[in-house]
Amino acid sequence: MEKEQRSLARLLGWSGRWKGLTLFGVSLAFISAALALMPYIFVYLCVDEILSGSEGGASKWGWAALWTAVANTVCYISALMCTHIAAFHTARNIRIMALDHVRKLPLGWFMTHSTGQVRKTIDYNSSLTEDVLAHKLADTAASVLTPIVAIVLLFVFSPLMGLACLATMALSILAMASMMGGAHKGFYMRYQKELEKMSSEAVEYVRLIPVLKTFNQTVMSFKAFWKTIKDNGDAALEYALSCRKGQTAFLTLINSTFALLIPIALVLAGDGDVMGTLSSFIFYSIFAPACGSLMYRLMYASESVMKLTLAVDSISSLLEVGQMEEGAITDTGDGTLAFSHVSFSYPGREGKAVDDLSFTLEKGKLTALVGPSGGGKSTIALLAGRFWDVDSGCVTLGGHDVRTLSHATLMDSLSIVFQNPRLFECTLYENVALARRNASREEVIRALSLAQCDDIIARLPEGLDTRITDAGCQLSGGERQRIALARAILKDSPIVILDEATAWADADNEVLIQKAIGQLTKGRTVLTIAHRLSSIVDADRILVVEHGRIVQDGDFRSLSVEEGLFRTMWKDYNEAAQWRLNSKEEA
Amino acid sequence: MTHRLMDMFALTEKGAKGLVKATLLSTLSNITLFLPVALSLLTVKVLLEQPESFQACLGQLCLACLVAVALIYIVAWFQYPSLYINTYEESTERRLRLAEKLRKLPLSFFSRHELSTLTNALCSDTADLDQMFSHYIPQMAASAISTLVVALMMFIYDWRMAIAALWAVPLAILCPILGKRVQDRCGRANISAKLAVAAHIQQTLENVVEIRAFQLEEDDDKAFRKKADRQVRCEIGSELASGIFVSSGFIMLKFAMASCLIVGVTLYAAGSLPLIDFIGFAFASVLVYTPIESLLQNIAATFNTKLRIGRIKAILDEPVQGGQAFFKPSGHDIDFEDVSFSYSAGRTALSHFSMNAKEGEVTALVGPSGSGKSTATRLVSRFWDPDAGRIRIGGVDISSVEPEALLADISTVFQDVTLMNGTILENIRLGRSGASDEEVLKAARLACCDDFALALPDGYDTVLSENGSSLSGGERQRISIARAILKNAPIILLDEATASLDTENESRIQAALSSLLKGRTVLVVAHRLRTVMAADHIVVLKEGRKVEEGTGESLMASQGLFSQMAERQLKSSRWRM
Repeated sequence: MEKEQRSLARLLGWSGRWKGLTLFGVSLAFISAALALMPYIFVYLCVDEILSGSEGGASKWGWAALWTAVANTVCYISALMCTHIAAFHTARNIRIMALDHVRKLPLGWFMTHSTGQVRKTIDYNSSLTEDVLAHKLADTAASVLTPIVAIVLLFVFSPLMGLACLATMALSILAMASMMGGAHKGFYMRYQKELEKMSSEAVEYVRLIPVLKTFNQTVMSFKAFWKTIKDNGDAALEYALSCRKGQTAFLTLINSTFALLIPIALVLAGDGDVMGTLSSFIFYSIFAPACGSLMYRLMYASESVMKLTLAVDSISSLLEVGQMEEGAITDTGDGTLAFSHVSFSYPGREGKAVDDLSFTLEKGKLTALVGPSGGGKSTIALLAGRFWDVDSGCVTLGGHDVRTLSHATLMDSLSIVFQNPRLFECTLYENVALARRNASREEVIRALSLAQCDDIIARLPEGLDTRITDAGCQLSGGERQRIALARAILKDSPIVILDEATAWADADNEVLIQKAIGQLTKGRTVLTIAHRLSSIVDADRILVVEHGRIVQDGDFRSLSVEEGLFRTMWKDYNEAAQWRLNSKEEA
Repeated sequence: MTHRLMDMFALTEKGAKGLVKATLLSTLSNITLFLPVALSLLTVKVLLEQPESFQACLGQLCLACLVAVALIYIVAWFQYPSLYINTYEESTERRLRLAEKLRKLPLSFFSRHELSTLTNALCSDTADLDQMFSHYIPQMAASAISTLVVALMMFIYDWRMAIAALWAVPLAILCPILGKRVQDRCGRANISAKLAVAAHIQQTLENVVEIRAFQLEEDDDKAFRKKADRQVRCEIGSELASGIFVSSGFIMLKFAMASCLIVGVTLYAAGSLPLIDFIGFAFASVLVYTPIESLLQNIAATFNTKLRIGRIKAILDEPVQGGQAFFKPSGHDIDFEDVSFSYSAGRTALSHFSMNAKEGEVTALVGPSGSGKSTATRLVSRFWDPDAGRIRIGGVDISSVEPEALLADISTVFQDVTLMNGTILENIRLGRSGASDEEVLKAARLACCDDFALALPDGYDTVLSENGSSLSGGERQRISIARAILKNAPIILLDEATASLDTENESRIQAALSSLLKGRTVLVVAHRLRTVMAADHIVVLKEGRKVEEGTGESLMASQGLFSQMAERQLKSSRWRM
């Protein structure tokens, strides 16, 4: 309960200025709950007037009943509108706030968190909060006040009849309660478990059908799933039937008030005041079923607000992830990038990805990182681009620790070209122009040309002004890669960090991409992760990285004669390059 | 009638009959609830007209009350199971039908539909339908019937009061139905705004590197705010629309209740309506309003039923690929006879394509991307069926053979590998379900799986989950090759790019593949031409047509498309940064 209150408080905090509207809506709901039962009183008064002979007075009670009923409906609908509007705005605030926060998180964090998961946290959870703010608060107000008002009214006109109504209502609640405990709870739990089991088995069943078809085994998997479906159906039926007694009793009791009212009315009338008794009898005969159905509805309105706590906690933990801090320095000195005794481990993973590593990226030269996968070369490139902050030591640019530089300064100095570049849903021109503010149209066109993109522009329906949709699906991987290279060329930053795997995204485009990379790297400082050893034969410097350490450092000539990892890798690489597909025995 | 219900709600005959039975019993239950009203009215009559004989009537009325309570209980007792038993039996039946149908559908179906849509149909759609059939539909139908009965009785008794009590009822029901069009429009706008927000969030998350690198945070925030604001506007509009229509319905009913009272008072004052009748109508109108109110509340829920049933029917009505359950080809050469195939209007993948892949030979398909080479292999495995022409294996037209029977003789090694939640051993055993552990391990060894599997703490008994996400691309590929080795099928369809998924282990995977291909009929889609230079037969495709064919030597000599591509690839492989 306390946890829920805290979650609610935090949620209302996120509502900002819409909190007032929520509170206003809840007050309207209170008023509506108070008004809800008024019409019945007026009906009673109307009938009472008629029975005592003054028909003239009766109609005014009729109108009073109508207007209070209408007022109640209007009040309730307004209450819901208020809470809904406030809820929608709150969800919007949460989405904007969360996305804003996420944009500033360390880039490396995104590698360990799937976009689907994060999107669910932001989007789905904010929608969950809507349900509580829009419905539950108002309904809770009603469910608190209405029973109190009802019980008070029950005793106003005839305490004895009121007691009879209360008795049947109490018994019906007992019948309901009997369905909640003990053996029934067991059935309910089993039903829920079977439901979950079936859900996950359904996913497996459907996911595996294609592969099982190729191995002629769908029948067997179907038989297993068949059993799950049957079990689920049995559990559902068992649970439903276990509630039979309780439900039937509940229904009967709610509708049986008459069986008590009728004898009581006859006995009371026998004692004297026939008309009074009659008025009361009519009132309770109409009021009791109304109370009954009210109780029925309130029962279903009191679901747990557990979902709210989960949603709020989920969003809160996202907001607690530390953002990347930036400094204020804007001076990049001589622009040299250097690692100084850098150590780094990926969060949640054991062992150091990079271990006391030091090197300086020489200006204007091409430095290649090679090594076994998992050895640290990709990590070095990521740290150079400040995807993560180092655990110890520091990465410096122009002598300043990158953490003390402003984001803008650092980002202006680097161009990062990795695999799977992403495009935005805007025109091709805009996708490239965003690399440098205030770039002229000529500069953008020149960058595209240097990146060997002229054929892409020629083949798109509106050329440069064609809108890229669906994150660039009308473009092949190789074409997207060239556009990313155009961006990097336009950006014209002194340092380029490149994953050479980009060069073989698309066999058809290979030559063009390679030309584009050549244009990009001309005269700049380049750090590249190399996969195909043949491509870095002419590199100025090759760093061999294994287990997070630099184990060899030199150029191709010196490394190919040195005893070590590089020579072994080179041999392996050449072997693989010689492979031929052949169905005959190897000679 | 049964058949109409069967069609409308995707039920079996038993299910439709059960639905009718449940409706009838619910109606009966509603009618038993008339008894309290009748007896209360009788009591009023006694109180008004026979003040002397209360005590005498007491005994009789008490007895009548007890009988009424008993009747209510008994009918409810039988109505309850009629709702649930039928619903859950039908639900199980429906799920089994869906599951059975799904496994018979063509492979292409699964690439056209998202996994979540299909599992929803199996689970949440059917679960929601359960709710419909056990709670809403029989009760709604019963309410409609019993209300008509009460209305009829009212008219017979006093048509003026009947009108006064009932005039608003049809209008109240009309409100949500009229509102539906407005609601649908608002609903569509709402959904599109919601999708736009979700898409933007997705894009921001996927493009975060670019956003950071090019300092686009502010621009992105501005654009997002616009979309988020639009979503709020649409949500409010939608809520307002539904709120107005539903509440109008309720307000109509209040007016009806009031008019009943006021007209009754007027008529009574004028002397043309006996008091007892007036009170009778007051009681009876409650019998009408309460079910209509619950009808109004539930009507929106039923609007979605159509959508769900539509999704389920779409699966049930999807055509399956037929064919004989056995496959007896004479030989294993593959023949394409003037085959044409398009994915959709305008996207022709293959056009009048003919070729022959001889048994026991390696036939390579090469060509620029989009030339149709992958499509050709997919047609051989009956992923799709050709639009025109024929494909024969060993003289047998494959479209006359059931896919599962056909695939018994074909192994595929493509880039996507599906792994089940089980041990590595079990995943490999998938290749041949009756295989012994020794046979599985032997296949694994030949596929060079020992390297990574034995290095794991549980070795081959290591349990994989989430589609084997703990394994690298190359490791998954080797499991796929092991399966193929174990299966020992005479025909292999191979995508050569699989060899280079994992640059570390390229040579190992190549060794595994070489082991697999010995002596079989191989159709390989090749990207790197040098790997297939020694193939027995090379077919060159361009834009869905065959443009060249021959051996590696003859094609290089003829200086056509093949030799141009080969030279380009040679140049790029020699590239230096």
